[in-house]
Amino acid sequence: MDALASLSLAFQQFATGEMLFHVVWATLLGIFVGSLPGLTATMGVALLTTLTYTLDRDAAILVLICMYVGAIYGGSRSAILLNIPGTPASAATSLDGYPLARSGRAGYAMALATAGSAIGTMVGILLLVLLAPPLAEAALRFGSFEFFWLAVFGIIISGQLTGGISPLKGYIAGLLGLMVAMVGSEGIHAHIRFNFGIQELNGGIGLIPAMVGAFGFAEVLTVMWRRKAKVVDKPAERDRIMPKLVDLWRYKFTIGRSGVIGTMVGIIPGVGEDIGAWASYAAARRTSKERDQFGKGSLEGLTAAETGNSAVVPGALIPALTLAVPGSAPAAVLIAALFIHGVRPGPMIMIEQPEFVYSVAVMLVFATIAIAVFGLFLTRFFVLVLKVPREILMPLVFTLCVIGPYALTQRTFEIWVMVGFGLVGFLLRQMNYPMAPLVLGIILGALLDKSLRRGLTLSDGDLTPFFTRPISATFVIIIALSIALGIPAVRRAISRALDSLLRRQKEGMTDG
Amino acid sequence: MTLDSAKADQWTSVILFALGAAMLVGGYTMDRLEIRQIHPASIPGLVPIILGAAMMLCSGLLFWSARQRAGDARSTDGAPVVEGSVKNLAFAAGYSVLYAIGLVGWLPFWLATAIYISVFYVHFSWQADATNRSRLLHAGLGLAFGIVGAFAIATLFEHGFLVRLP
Repeated sequence: MDALASLSLAFQQFATGEMLFHVVWATLLGIFVGSLPGLTATMGVALLTTLTYTLDRDAAILVLICMYVGAIYGGSRSAILLNIPGTPASAATSLDGYPLARSGRAGYAMALATAGSAIGTMVGILLLVLLAPPLAEAALRFGSFEFFWLAVFGIIISGQLTGGISPLKGYIAGLLGLMVAMVGSEGIHAHIRFNFGIQELNGGIGLIPAMVGAFGFAEVLTVMWRRKAKVVDKPAERDRIMPKLVDLWRYKFTIGRSGVIGTMVGIIPGVGEDIGAWASYAAARRTSKERDQFGKGSLEGLTAAETGNSAVVPGALIPALTLAVPGSAPAAVLIAALFIHGVRPGPMIMIEQPEFVYSVAVMLVFATIAIAVFGLFLTRFFVLVLKVPREILMPLVFTLCVIGPYALTQRTFEIWVMVGFGLVGFLLRQMNYPMAPLVLGIILGALLDKSLRRGLTLSDGDLTPFFTRPISATFVIIIALSIALGIPAVRRAISRALDSLLRRQKEGMTDG
Repeated sequence: MTLDSAKADQWTSVILFALGAAMLVGGYTMDRLEIRQIHPASIPGLVPIILGAAMMLCSGLLFWSARQRAGDARSTDGAPVVEGSVKNLAFAAGYSVLYAIGLVGWLPFWLATAIYISVFYVHFSWQADATNRSRLLHAGLGLAFGIVGAFAIATLFEHGFLVRLP
């Protein structure tokens, strides 16, 4: 009842002309950013954070959430029309979206992607409202020991799931992020570490310049490096631009399952939308009656991918709000933005600002309505957006990468940090190091450092409580299993053992 | 050698190992604040030591797996770089760095930005086989685009967000 009252209050608060105006422009900008290959949701949210310093708290967070939702959705446009995912989240979308576009059904593919995205986000919002308050309450039982393992868990899982075929590179990226977080004044004794005599490093390396570099400048370089892509020309004349209800009804289980999978993937720290889309796509293919159509223009595959990646957005905000641990890279920037605007995410949020979680849910609802409206009625416009030449867009983007981080502290040092992270980020990406664990490492470094040392001080140097307290022990088991399963030899051994077990069972049944 | 190859991984693992070792040594030799009588388990160098050791371990594993991969016939070494133009990348990187840490701060922000945008646009859209007249028109268009873009961004930040521009 309290939740419903809070939601209704939040609706009234955000249903004003000014807020709706913010919803319109920020979502449109988000779709624009997501549509263009090379501009990702993380970059959009990071750059827009620098433009929201002067807005009040609610308007600023609303703008950033609309950008986030819009950009994740917008990625489907270029995935369908160019076969290049506008954001990594839409990689699975291109598998079926592009074949549909080539067969003259681009408009319908985009309409279905819109419906899938909108429904997926709504499923995620529902789970956000249901899960965030109890999770925050459970997190109140966390002490230094549990927070230490939570930080380790975030880095390991993120590294494991985003590292692709090599989780090792994911772990290394996470370690690099943690190392970056060690620079500057530490949180217990205020001792300054690794500043190399540079005064500007005393406060540490800022998340915003680092992210703008790693996601903005690195992407400018990637776009200019790659060859230009060709847009699939006009949709066929008889192509629909509204989804058929019968199709949505036919795929109701796929939509529901993808929404839940996406949200759950979102809750896992630092994993993100691309994994949400792939997991939903894989689940849909396993259970589909038309699985031979997957990859050749399957409407079900497209719906699963788009529902899955969009549901990650509200899912990623659940740990971001209740544990201050981001579920995805854009959510990491959102955490930084929340701190800038005076919101302290973490277990205390349901005590200090209980209405805020519901406000975020309402912001997501508005953003979802906006993507549904713009997605269905501005299809032709977004095809035009894809034709903006990169040589016009990229210098403007880089100029914003330079001035955005500078605007936060008005120090040119932030520009150098951005440039450094951009160049290193570009190289790391080309070498297949995922960026999400790196970002998560920067965010979680302080938590890991303080929790370990505080825990050891509380236990007088004894490590036992790190392994014997129930929640800590659970984390330790999950972490150990994750690492073990990441080792190919262990995976092969388990698979061999399972095979021989099944064979023996089969032989036993035959003999019997 | 491509950037995603066994050889590149071997070189990276050496660099990462050195980085891990440096962090381990840095953490070990860091002030233990004995003068402030802090708990020995809360020394500031503790986590850097652990991270340094973990990085050394991971880079060792990377080196080992890269060596195995290098010996594998299916290794991607020698495969052509398919992504795109190195010339474009070198110009975009070099020129953007020059703008960010050279021009900005040395010239007024709007002027530095106008030069950056104009040259970037003209360079990447230049057509070698165009006539002189169309080239001139193209350069003029680039200049106008640069001035308008720089003016819009500078005005937004200076007057909209009250930022003292570099």
